Amino acid sequence: MAFNSINISVEAPIENQIQEITYDGMEIYQPPLTLSESLVKYAQKIDFSKTTDLDLKREDTTDDSKSDIDPKDAFQSSLWPWDSVRNKLRNAHQEVCVLADVLAIAKDKRYMVLDPVPQEPLETKPMVQIYARKKALAGAANVLLTGAEKLKTSQNEAVRNRTTPDFHIELLRLRQNWRLKKVSNTIIGDLSYRTAGSKYLQTGTFEVTKAEEDEKTNSPPSSPLPGGIVPAKPSSALKVSIPSELQGVAYIEVLCQKDFEDLCSANINFLGSGAPSSNPDMHWQQKLEAAQNVLFCKELFNQLAKEAVQLQNPIPHMVVGNQIMASVLPSIQLIIALRHSTSGDKKIEKPSHSRSEHDHVLEHSLHQLLREVHHKNTHHPFPHPATGPLGPSKKRMMAGPMAADRYELLEMTKQETLLEQIVRQTQHFLMRMRTEYVLDTLAKEFKDPLITSHWSTHSSATRSCVKITILTHGYDAVHSTPLLVYIAEKGLKCICRDGRVMNLSYEPQELRDLIFYTINQHRIQIVIGLAKVMGWQILENSNHLGIGAVEPLGNAASCLLASPTGDRIIAVRCEPQANAIHVSVAHSPRTDFFPGRLVTERKWEHLGGQFRDVRMDKMEGKNFLYKMELLMASLTSNS
Amino acid sequence: MGVTILSQFPIDNRTGPQTIEMLTKRILALGSVQQGHFLVDCETYSSVQALGHQRSVHVLHNSEQPATVFSLLDTGTKIIPLATDGLFDLLMMKMASFYQSKKQTKAESKGPRFEIADFCVKLGTVTVSSNFKGVLVEVEYKPCVIPALCWELILEFLQGFLGSSAPAAPPAFLQNRMQEIYSPIDTIQQYLEHFTHFRKSQAPTMMMRPQ
Repeated sequence: MAFNSINISVEAPIENQIQEITYDGMEIYQPPLTLSESLVKYAQKIDFSKTTDLDLKREDTTDDSKSDIDPKDAFQSSLWPWDSVRNKLRNAHQEVCVLADVLAIAKDKRYMVLDPVPQEPLETKPMVQIYARKKALAGAANVLLTGAEKLKTSQNEAVRNRTTPDFHIELLRLRQNWRLKKVSNTIIGDLSYRTAGSKYLQTGTFEVTKAEEDEKTNSPPSSPLPGGIVPAKPSSALKVSIPSELQGVAYIEVLCQKDFEDLCSANINFLGSGAPSSNPDMHWQQKLEAAQNVLFCKELFNQLAKEAVQLQNPIPHMVVGNQIMASVLPSIQLIIALRHSTSGDKKIEKPSHSRSEHDHVLEHSLHQLLREVHHKNTHHPFPHPATGPLGPSKKRMMAGPMAADRYELLEMTKQETLLEQIVRQTQHFLMRMRTEYVLDTLAKEFKDPLITSHWSTHSSATRSCVKITILTHGYDAVHSTPLLVYIAEKGLKCICRDGRVMNLSYEPQELRDLIFYTINQHRIQIVIGLAKVMGWQILENSNHLGIGAVEPLGNAASCLLASPTGDRIIAVRCEPQANAIHVSVAHSPRTDFFPGRLVTERKWEHLGGQFRDVRMDKMEGKNFLYKMELLMASLTSNS
Repeated sequence: MGVTILSQFPIDNRTGPQTIEMLTKRILALGSVQQGHFLVDCETYSSVQALGHQRSVHVLHNSEQPATVFSLLDTGTKIIPLATDGLFDLLMMKMASFYQSKKQTKAESKGPRFEIADFCVKLGTVTVSSNFKGVLVEVEYKPCVIPALCWELILEFLQGFLGSSAPAAPPAFLQNRMQEIYSPIDTIQQYLEHFTHFRKSQAPTMMMRPQ
């Protein structure tokens, strides 16, 4: 029914009729009719005698005979063109007059009566009629049945090989997601990120064609086989052809190598894991997305390679083929490679062991960096000047009126390149990984003072923070030592408990040493804390003891505690490197006294006595502080 | 950006290049390092009769602030300073029918630029429509922005290589603004003062003399 709404206009051909063809092949055209002439021509064609369909039909049969006459009439009456029309009108007038007369006479009913013509009743035989009707109905039913059958089969066919019906609907869908334009007879689409702010020169054009011809050539051979491979093939009315350099799969591989050993790797491929093959039957949407991905990866790599060549680095970046090598930290290199496989069947070979560790941070960063560049290209900071160039930063626009000097202007021209940013992020990433490793191994190593680390969720791509707390199990209310570590790109900034700030380099050993030192401090501090709780007196406390064996790193810490009554003294000495604790006890005065030659009286014993080592490993208790508590308790009760 | 003091150096019986050379020697002897050259130029536009009361606009450029065009509108009663973007030059071109440039008054000061610790010294040869007029010495003390706080220091430094020709008092323009924060346009105002002075003065007597 929808066809009713379609207007079809039919026009006469613009060419004139050929009047004559001369012997040399020249065609002489009839001159075009003037307006009045054409009116006459059409008026002549009116047949006033045609009134009913019957007449019309009769007309057709007698058409041949008439057509012979007509041209002659036309020729004869050419003296006066309206002659035939007049004749016809006169005839018609006569007929109408006669009819009017007849009707007038018949109306009077005096001279003329109109009688209905008696119809001869048809002789009907009921059986014959039944048979005839039966036969007719059977015929009609047959027609309907065959029609229904045909519809059913065609529908089944349509269900089986699901051909998307309309090219234009497909095109509409394509248009909703992709940029298309019509160039003469072809439809050209654009894959590039140029509208999103990309300045990459390579064009990402693709062509959209109708896939129908292709399908028709395919379908005849497959139709003899009933229900064959045809339904499995997803077909679309659209065919998208992509330039060969954008076909296939591409992704950017990021590797951190230490002495040619993978530390971490990231594959950036924002189509996810399902790498689409360049299968010709692939749906156009996936095909276009894959091609756009290729374009994006190419742009990213191109940009990075350009920067790698331009950057002046103490250790120059290397660009070899599809690979960029940048040194991140001493003996650690960042390798960024563009992997582009054009053939669909050849899967990307993946060394499963190291590269399975997919790092989402680096992947995301690389992706994000280029997007940021794109975004900056299209989004200029407000307010835009009405009469100024568009593009310079807000700071640069203010530079003129604020009278910025040469150095400030020079500073503004310095922009951090993508490669520098990714190198910085990688450095930070490695630093974080190393710190994590150090903290984890230390936490595993040490059970006596427990090491807990809390990573702050507020971090950026180049800065993060971890808070380390050192405490003794069961005594966390007595004392705990915090240590704050800020992780930057090439070093660590540690803030100790007493507010001292230490800047460490990228070497993980430094952090390790610092934590050893802090543990050492913690032990002494918690013993002092415990002594206060137990009512012992702190006689002396030194974090950097100058006596005793020289430590390879740092100094030993010590404290001297006296029992509440003052007759017992405990000395504790912690050595950071050996991780050893020496505890000694002295009694003064001793419980037993034997006068000798030098010490003749008991009062001299108050001056202090011999220290005796306590063998801590033989003592009861699950950790050092518990043992200390027991020791203090026993020495207190003895007195 | 710091405080800048501009002073004229008398050329006595020397030529311009000789004076510059002498000062260069002195300043190099103090241990300064030459850091390129500098240029300050000034062009004056005056309003046409149709605008009524005669006003003039001085447009100045300083190579120290390369992105900026300074303009000073002299209404006769007061001077309105303005620091603008480089596009101001183009705007002046559009205004050619209202403000016409005086061809004969293009003044500029150019010469070597030295840096010595916190000071920046510029020895400028002043020319007005390409006639030599004199020598200007610009000294900038970068760490300070309040003239009153560093005037003594700058004076001492000036005396160090200008000797007795060093100015005795701060420039007239700065005298009312000693406690205010110094900005680049103040330098430009000082230059304009000197340029107008040079324009009014006759060519130095020295040039008249036969060599």
